[in-house]
Amino acid sequence: MSMQSLNQLVARSIIDPGVVQAFRAGRIGDVLGEVGFTPDLQAQLTGIECDSWAEFAVISYRHVRAAEAQAPRLQFPSPLEGLLSAESQAGQEQVA
Amino acid sequence: MIQITREERHWFLENVARALVEYSGAAEPPVPIEAILDHPPEVFHEDFGVVDMYSNLWDATFARPPGQRGSIFVRVDLGETARRHALARETLSALITSKHGRDIGLPDLLMSELKESASYFASILLAPNAFVDAYRAQGGSEELFAESFLLPVEVAESRW
Repeated sequence: MSMQSLNQLVARSIIDPGVVQAFRAGRIGDVLGEVGFTPDLQAQLTGIECDSWAEFAVISYRHVRAAEAQAPRLQFPSPLEGLLSAESQAGQEQVA
Repeated sequence: MIQITREERHWFLENVARALVEYSGAAEPPVPIEAILDHPPEVFHEDFGVVDMYSNLWDATFARPPGQRGSIFVRVDLGETARRHALARETLSALITSKHGRDIGLPDLLMSELKESASYFASILLAPNAFVDAYRAQGGSEELFAESFLLPVEVAESRW
C-alpha cells in the first residue's frame, strides 16, 4: 500500500502544482497524511531534507522500499508439505 | 543533486507517464498521445504543442523559442507508429524544460541521462504497465501487441 501511495503522490505531483507548493512551504506532512502512509513512514518521509521535489520523491522511494523489505510477511506452509508438522507426519508413517 | 540509480530513474519516469495517461482518461490502448499534447494538463498549457514540418534531419524535436509556447516539431511524413513514438519521446523534453518541470527538479534528475530517459519514457507512456498487464490477462497475443498499442516493432519487442 505504501509504494502504491507514493506512486499516486508522485504521479499527482506531475499535474498538480499544489503538491510541490506544499513541499516548498514545508507542509509536505499534510499531503502525506492525505495519501495513506503508515504513521512511522509518514514521520520518516516528513523528516527528509533535500533540495527539490524530485529528490524528495527518490529518497522517499528508498525509504518505502526499505520499509516494505523489513515488513513481516505471512508464511504459509508449502502445499507439498501439507498442514502437518514433520514430526507428526513421521508418526503417521510409523502407524501405517 | 543526489546520485540515483537507473532503476530509481525508471520508477520516477513510470509515475510521470502514469500521470499523463490517467489525465487523458484512457482505459485501454492505444494511448492518445496527440490528444494529450493537444489538451494537456493546465500546468503544461504553455509547454505542449505539435507543429508538423518538412525535414530530413530528424523525426521530431522539442524547441521552446524565447518567450513563446514550447512545441514538438515533427516530420510530417512519418508513419503513425513512428510519429507517436517520436512525440512521446519529445514530450519528456517538454516536461523537463517547463516551468512546472523545473519547479519539480526534473532537469537535475533527468538531464544527464536524457536520451535513455526519453526512450524509456516513450515506451512506458505508449505501453503503460497496467495496460500491458491487462492485455496479457485478456489473452492478447504477442503478434498483435504492436498493432494494438500502435507501437514501432522494436518498442513493442522491448515492452512485451
